Amino acid sequence: MSEPRFRIAAEIVHETVDGEVIAIDLGNGSYYSLAGSGPAIWELLGEGASEAQLGEALAGRFEGDRATIEAEVTRLLGELRENGLIAEAEDAGRAAAEAGPPAAEREPFEAPRLERYTDMKDYFLLDPIHEVNPAAGWPRPAA
Amino acid sequence: MEGARANDREDAGLEYLAALRQRFRIATEARGTNESRIEIGGLSLRLRFAGPALAEVLLPPFEHLVAEESGEPDMAIDVFDVESTGVKPPPLPWPVPEASPGTQPVVRWSSEDACVLAAAGSGALTAAAPASGEALFCLRSVASVPLSERAAPLRDALQMLTSSRRLWMTHAGAVGRNGAGVLLAGRGGSGKSTLAVSCALAGMEFVADDYLLLESGPPPVAHAMQSTAKLTADSAARLGLGREAIDRAGFEPTLEGPYKALVEVGALAPGLVRRQLRIGALVGLSVAAVARPELRPVGPASGLRALAPSTIMQMRSRSATLLGALRELVGAVPSYELRLCPDPGANAAVIAGLVDEVG
Repeated sequence: MSEPRFRIAAEIVHETVDGEVIAIDLGNGSYYSLAGSGPAIWELLGEGASEAQLGEALAGRFEGDRATIEAEVTRLLGELRENGLIAEAEDAGRAAAEAGPPAAEREPFEAPRLERYTDMKDYFLLDPIHEVNPAAGWPRPAA
Repeated sequence: MEGARANDREDAGLEYLAALRQRFRIATEARGTNESRIEIGGLSLRLRFAGPALAEVLLPPFEHLVAEESGEPDMAIDVFDVESTGVKPPPLPWPVPEASPGTQPVVRWSSEDACVLAAAGSGALTAAAPASGEALFCLRSVASVPLSERAAPLRDALQMLTSSRRLWMTHAGAVGRNGAGVLLAGRGGSGKSTLAVSCALAGMEFVADDYLLLESGPPPVAHAMQSTAKLTADSAARLGLGREAIDRAGFEPTLEGPYKALVEVGALAPGLVRRQLRIGALVGLSVAAVARPELRPVGPASGLRALAPSTIMQMRSRSATLLGALRELVGAVPSYELRLCPDPGANAAVIAGLVDEVG
């Protein structure tokens, strides 16, 4: 059985600015900041990377102990899944490990940091929007 | 708008919009038509009301945008209420959930070419065909117009129509000088309205306290929507506003909690309400236990965190594109963080200094 690949969950909108990913969960009103090596991992997740591909890509891109890098990738994937930011991809994805810069030019590895903000959640619950899903037939709110 | 009608049979959302349009026509036959033209975000908007009742409530906040035009508008919104016209909207093809106390759930159905929003509680119904620039808005009665609607009339319809024209309804205030200004960002309760009004009282130009239309540029421009601001009794007192400055409806409960009342900024600061300001900086606000206001530069990611979540969560359509537009903004102008002190004049002075610096 092939290793699962991941994708960014459908309810998430996100942008990367100044080395930080800002991700907003339209499903529950939480929003997140992802920094350190997180944006590099996030970009690969957007291409449908597997855990092994992430470890390999980061080890080729950053200077650091490979076991540490892989452990950090595993930890972040757990956090992202726990928070509903990523899901398993159904298709094969496009991510492939690209050759990183020469060893002398690699930046030191910085552990990914995920921060969750819930200060908008109250507003979200006060004014919820129930999407009607035409594919499921009216009158059925979207799941 | 004619193109939308030709496709009515192919799009269930447009079919509902057409049925609602037919009810509006019947309502105007019963009560007559009040028509106004305004210019908003550089676009012409035709507003038609069935009878005078809702026009008297929803038009005054747009007075500063009134335009003398008669040609084909870029956008059009038709408005009627059930009580004064005796005309009901067509039945909704899906159930609207009961509103539990203190909440206002909305049911949204989006087809390819149209979107219909039905709010529980207020009973407000908005249907729009963004590409063709047409929307309809229906309420139960003039008496049931909620404070949020009087503060930011036709917000859902405007948001749907303008976003397809790359004008992004943004949860922020905007003030400035000589046509250049700053955006004031932050969630509800962060001090946007009090600061925007205190800046106007200090002689600065005012575009918005809470919602505006953002043109991401370059250069980024904030376009005005309504000229009213929503204040708590505490804010009104700290700004030194007497009873005469407060809307006669007085302080009313809001969805988010504190009682608030409307004030007409044009009356408080004559000649200072502007249709637009070029934006030179973004300021994320927070109320803090500090004796003096504290302003400091922050990175663009902090700016985006101050502006984007409440904007995205409130607009909740075309979210990815909207977030991209906000990302463009924080890439184009510097971001700051301002911790507000209890003295509105001191806070306004800091904003005036920043406007002079970045303008």
